[in-house]
Amino acid sequence: MPELPDLNPVIHGKLRLALLSLLTTVEEAEFTWLRARTGSTDGNLGAQLARLEEAGYVAVEKKFVQRKPQTLYRMTEAGRTALTEYVQALKQLLGESINV
Amino acid sequence: MQEETSTQELKDRVALIECMIAEGRRSTESWGWTFLLWGVAYYVAIGWEAMGQRLAIWGGNGLAWPVTMIAAVVVTILIAFRKDNGQPETTVGRAVVSIWISVGISMLLLFPALSIAGRIDGHGFVAIVGAVLGIANGASGMILRWRMQVACAVVWWITSVAACFGSQAQVTVVFLTALFLCQIAFGAYAMILESRRRQNREAHA
Repeated sequence: MPELPDLNPVIHGKLRLALLSLLTTVEEAEFTWLRARTGSTDGNLGAQLARLEEAGYVAVEKKFVQRKPQTLYRMTEAGRTALTEYVQALKQLLGESINV
Repeated sequence: MQEETSTQELKDRVALIECMIAEGRRSTESWGWTFLLWGVAYYVAIGWEAMGQRLAIWGGNGLAWPVTMIAAVVVTILIAFRKDNGQPETTVGRAVVSIWISVGISMLLLFPALSIAGRIDGHGFVAIVGAVLGIANGASGMILRWRMQVACAVVWWITSVAACFGSQAQVTVVFLTALFLCQIAFGAYAMILESRRRQNREAHA
């Protein structure tokens, strides 16, 4: 019997998984856009994004646009690979019955 | 029980991924106004040119197209900047916008050059505009999987071919009809869709 894969604990957290899934669809996204899409609080969102940044899955860029601070998040290649592997692992665990 | 919960949790994760990907792709961009604006701009230029020719007013007909087109470009840029609502850029969005910017630049360079060189007439103008707008609407409609926009492309392609035949008056009628259908009516339709989508989102927020 083949060994079942482990799920990446960094990605498995609900909000972190939601954030990575969102970031796959865009080039880069503002903190406020991510907050609106996930419906999370500033504190929780900031903490989870920091965890993803620490793991090297997202890159952060801070800049000023028309004198307003803007924090932009972008998925890294490592993040994309990790999410792909996570989905593969999910498929394996669920018996290939999913289509993501 | 433990195994069932675990399977359910995994299925929840799959649903979450699907939901977030759909949410991320849901665009709040609105571009219907550009079709309407450019449709009106073309009508103004054609009307100005016709009236200027007859009445020798507003600098005659020589200024009609350059002034109207430059004004339309400026208004488009100003409104686009004002409408920028922090929506992140998607690959699909960038592809569609790139097509339209490239088409706009091509037309803004080509037509003045052809006009200055004296190598364009009414038939050629409508044929080129029809072909170029057919390409842009077709590509954009296929990327967005939007049948209504592909239908607009078909109208432009028909206009382009029709412009090669018939009298100047017939070509003008065909061009004005295509402009009305593919710019003004389509632009208004897109704006209504965008407005409904916005209202739905606000209702579910």
